[in-house]
Amino acid sequence: MDIARITTLIVAMAFLLPVLPVQAAMAHGVDVTVTPREAVEVVASFDGGDPMSGAQVTVFAPGDPAEPWLQGTADEEGRFYFVPDPARPGTWEVRVRQAGHGEIIRLEVDGSGIAGTTGTGLTALQKVLMAAAVGWGAIGTALYFKRRAA
Amino acid sequence: MHIPDGILPVSVAVGGFAAAGGMTWLSLRQIERKHSDPRQGIPKASLLTAVFFMASLVHIPVPPASVHLVLSGLMGVVLGWYAFPAILVGLFFQAVMFQHGGLTMLGVNACLMGIPALLAFSIFRLRGLLGETSRVPNAVLGFAGSFVAVALGALLAALLIVATVPAYLDASVERAAVTGLLAAHIPLGVIEGVFTAMVVLFLLRVQPDLLKESL
Repeated sequence: MDIARITTLIVAMAFLLPVLPVQAAMAHGVDVTVTPREAVEVVASFDGGDPMSGAQVTVFAPGDPAEPWLQGTADEEGRFYFVPDPARPGTWEVRVRQAGHGEIIRLEVDGSGIAGTTGTGLTALQKVLMAAAVGWGAIGTALYFKRRAA
Repeated sequence: MHIPDGILPVSVAVGGFAAAGGMTWLSLRQIERKHSDPRQGIPKASLLTAVFFMASLVHIPVPPASVHLVLSGLMGVVLGWYAFPAILVGLFFQAVMFQHGGLTMLGVNACLMGIPALLAFSIFRLRGLLGETSRVPNAVLGFAGSFVAVALGALLAALLIVATVPAYLDASVERAAVTGLLAAHIPLGVIEGVFTAMVVLFLLRVQPDLLKESL
């Protein structure tokens, strides 16, 4: 292929560019790198079991509790993912909030990884037992004062 | 309307404790004045505290939200001045046992439920004018008091939350979510109103003295 033919080809392509703007844009170089990283999955639900879909999630980096490091919204299932900066070890804070309901979770991030936390989700049996204990206390109080009054 | 820790600023928490302290003092003073033996009301208050404590575990689906029973109106109607201290005790146990409402928010939450409860009590007292022993005024006033208590509590909570949204959050999203939750409390108010009316009618039939004591 001689120089003239290549030049003609380039000129022809240059003429085509404005005609095919979309294709030209797609021809820009793109470099996609996929790297597995240790991410944090936040799952938020109300204590009745319903997911906090659309809850606002705010992540605070260690040592900076006033300035949000990341801001996002939980998905339909109340899930939210983020990758903490490994260069900033310490206690990361995740605040989940929706309609005045919310929770602050603290995560320990150090060189070796992320220590996860689980909320204090009580089982139904635990709840029933605790409620029964308090109820029994109330009945006892009632009986005590009824007897004293009689 | 149980506000958890970390949602409202510290100044509101302190103000809530101050207001709850004042309301408790006022309630205890009224109890002392109106009852020759204040201990007489304690069995009833104790049992209703247990009911109030457990009520928050009963979730009622109001699509798309889910709300839980509050029963502040029932407390006010049946307990009168005993309602505020009873709600305070019930909320303390809810916070400690189920993290339902934060401990630092105990004062705020006590006001959000206790003050509407006292309002329900004063609405129910109107039965003195309309007929203390007839069924209809009792049922209607019990319903009205309870509905107003739930609505007022939810409204006050919503106003507090919306007024103190931190700057880093999207205030419009939070406002929309709070409005949705507030709307879900209207059917809850109806449910609690009907429940309170049923309890009042039942007490009127089997033990009318239990309602009279609160007057």
